[in-house]
Order: sequence, then structure tokens, then C-alpha cells
Amino acid sequence: MTNPLTEQFSAPLTFNWTLSYSCNFACSHCYSREEQCAELTLAELKQIVDRLARHQVPFINFGGGEPLIHKDLFALSDYARQQGLNVSMNSNGWLLDKQAAEQIKACGFRSVGISIDSADGALHDDFRNRPGSFDRAVNALDELAAAGVRSTMSSVISRINYQNFNDLLDLAREHQVAQVYLHNFKCSGRGFKNRQELDLTPEEWKDFYLEALKVKEETRDLLISFDDPVIASLPGYKENSLVKGSSCGKLSLHLRPNGDMTPCGFIPLVVGNILQDDFEEVWYNSPVLNKMRNKEAKGKCQGCGAYEDCLGGCTARAFATTGDLSEPDPHCWK
Amino acid sequence: MNKLQRNPDIVWRVEKRRQQAVLERMAAGEEGGDEGTVILLISGMMHQLNLLGGMIWTLCDGQRDIEQLVTELQKEFDVDPTILQADVQEFVADLVERGWLSYDQSTD
Ligand code: SF4
Repeated sequence: MTNPLTEQFSAPLTFNWTLSYSCNFACSHCYSREEQCAELTLAELKQIVDRLARHQVPFINFGGGEPLIHKDLFALSDYARQQGLNVSMNSNGWLLDKQAAEQIKACGFRSVGISIDSADGALHDDFRNRPGSFDRAVNALDELAAAGVRSTMSSVISRINYQNFNDLLDLAREHQVAQVYLHNFKCSGRGFKNRQELDLTPEEWKDFYLEALKVKEETRDLLISFDDPVIASLPGYKENSLVKGSSCGKLSLHLRPNGDMTPCGFIPLVVGNILQDDFEEVWYNSPVLNKMRNKEAKGKCQGCGAYEDCLGGCTARAFATTGDLSEPDPHCWK
Repeated sequence: MNKLQRNPDIVWRVEKRRQQAVLERMAAGEEGGDEGTVILLISGMMHQLNLLGGMIWTLCDGQRDIEQLVTELQKEFDVDPTILQADVQEFVADLVERGWLSYDQSTD
């Protein structure tokens, strides 16, 4: 049986699209540094856009890998806009100079997210293994503002920033950022290998979210967003998310460079190929997607009063650490 | 003049499968007209429109005024034209107030 809420969606609302796993950085928490994958031609990439438009997918978000080093990024984005899709991307900002910002504006990007891990430049550079990367990321925010493009800031919460996240918010304010995403730590790829060093304990996660939610409630001049389903288990949590639990496979899918679809970038289970398979067949009938939409409470989730809202937390994290999509999220503090 | 236009900042989509199911149920004389068949995404929130609302929304492409909407909808819904007219007017007024629809005031 399919989740009734999912049943109403004829397609995802967002495709997170990795055009290439190539990157000019080698960050400590990255899920994709060890990934390798064949890449498609511009003609094939445009075919994917046609399919997404046909299935009325409203949003695509380029990630990666670093989208700005992909030679077809602008041609493809331009084409996607013409087909009525809303385009955004996440970048490390290194290559986002004035000229790139103007191209982004001309292509009609809805917004561009820049990854910044710490308001302390030296710490950011160290984490990203790239001296000068902080200055260029901040400069990218300024170039976007100058070109009139809405910017967002993406910060993966980890040991290096969880106690100073307010500094990240101040940095965002100083550079006209519209929205800050405080991402949960995913434990995939390098993030898994460096987990001991970077990840918080469940109790620290709880304290962080309690504090960050309080700040969010008091903040008027900046949008603050989280993407961690386990926060729904906090007492008094009242955000109205579009679906319960992880949104992967319900509201979004991930595209690998060769057109393979996975539930999200952090779950390496291929459910089909966008160019080769019948999309509706995959979307409605993939056993993996249906399993994610109909999780069964396991372990401590059984009998947990928060299950209805939390649905076992982040499915990607549970899968990365246990190999089972339905196990409790390892970040859970209950 | 007075053509109805959707707010271009609103991202929306017809949920075709759901719409089809509702149409089939209605053709079989069952209830189902209140289920959402069109979704609108506004400031991170999702709103749903039922079959009639979804059809009105889809038709508000800047080419039709209220009278023309009612004429189009009359082909789909077997109801008293006066009731349909009143329903459409009420729905449109609500969405105009929310800023989701607007009247194109140009005279050409
Ligand atoms: S026990 Fe399971 S359902 Fe309960 S809060 Fe933890 S992850 Fe969520």
C-alpha cells in the first residue's frame, strides 16, 4: 500500500541533480569524493530536462561535485528555464566571480546556495582543505547580491560550528543572504569516515536543535531552515513540513551524472534510470521508494510516542550506519 | 480587460493521477470533489485546490474573465449556471484577496 500523502504526488517536487562528481575541493564531510560515474552529453542532459518538464517536476537543484566546473551548466540551466523549470544550485563559491554571477542572473536561477562551514575563515579553509576558500565563498555571496540573485547559505552542522552557529547567521546577514540552511550531518562518504571527529553525540544534537529552534523563532530578518526529520520528536515542535519523516523519495529524488535515480544523494540505492526507464513505473512502484514511504518502526522506535511525527528520523543516516532503511536514526536522543 | 491571471511567483502543478481518480469517482456518482487535484507551493507551504478550484486555477491564464471561466466550466460540470457562477465568484474573490490571482486591468 502506498502512503496516501505520497499517492497524491504525481512526481517529485525537486530533483537534486549531480551533473558530475568532479570538484575543485576535497572537504572533510563530503559524501561524494569517492564517487565515480559516467557523464552525459548536453543533448542527453536536455532530454532529461524534457522528461522532468513532461512530469511537471517544478524544481531542479544542481549539486555535486561543484556545478560551476561543469561546462554545460549554463546551457542546461538556460534550457531548463525555457521548459518552465525553476533552477537553483549549491556551490562552494570558488568560481563564482562577477562574470559567473551575471551568467547565473541571465539564466534565471531562482537562487544559489553557497556552502560555508564556519564564520571563522581559517577554520572554514582548514575544513575545506583549501586556503582562501572562505574569502572566495563570501565574495561569491557579494557577487550574487550585486547581480540581484537570491542567495542562500548552506552549513553542515558538525563539531566545528555547532556552538557558534549564531556567527554563521551574522555572517549571512552581513552579506544579504535570504536563507540559511543548517543541514544535518549525513554520515556518508567522507562524512562517514570522519564521523568520530565531526559528528555530534545524540545529546549534543538535541541541545543544538533546542537552541537553534529558539533562535529561529526569535529571528525575523533571516529565514532559517533545517532538514533533519528527527527534530519533529522534540516536545512542542510545531513546524508544518510537507511530509513526515525524511522527504527523500516522497518530495524529492536525486539524479546521478549518468541519469541513475537514487532516493537522495546520501542513499546509494539506484531505483532506475531517468533516460532508460519508465519514470512513473519507478516513482510509484520502486520497492526501495515504497519501503522509505512506508517505514516500519524498528528497535527503540517501536512504541516511541514521537514515531508518528518523526518516522524514525533520517533514513539516509539509518541506512549508512545499519544497512537498514527502517532502523532508528543514530542521532536520535531518545 | 478584467482577465484573471495567476500570480507568476506561485509554483503549481496539476496532480494528474489524483485528478483522473476524482473524475472517475464523480462519473460513477461517488463523492470526491473535495480532494486536492492541484497543488500550489507558496513560501515553502503547499496548498491544495479541489477539482473545481483546480480547474478555475488552470483556466486563469490571463485570457479569460469570470464570464468566460463560467462558460468553460459549464462544459465540465452539470450544475445550475447560477450556482456555478456564484461558486466561481466566491472562489476567485478569495484568491484575489490572498494575492494568488489578479485582474489584468489593461484595456486592449
Ligand atoms: S525512537 Fe525513533 S521515532 Fe522515536 S524519536 Fe527516536 S528515531 Fe524518532
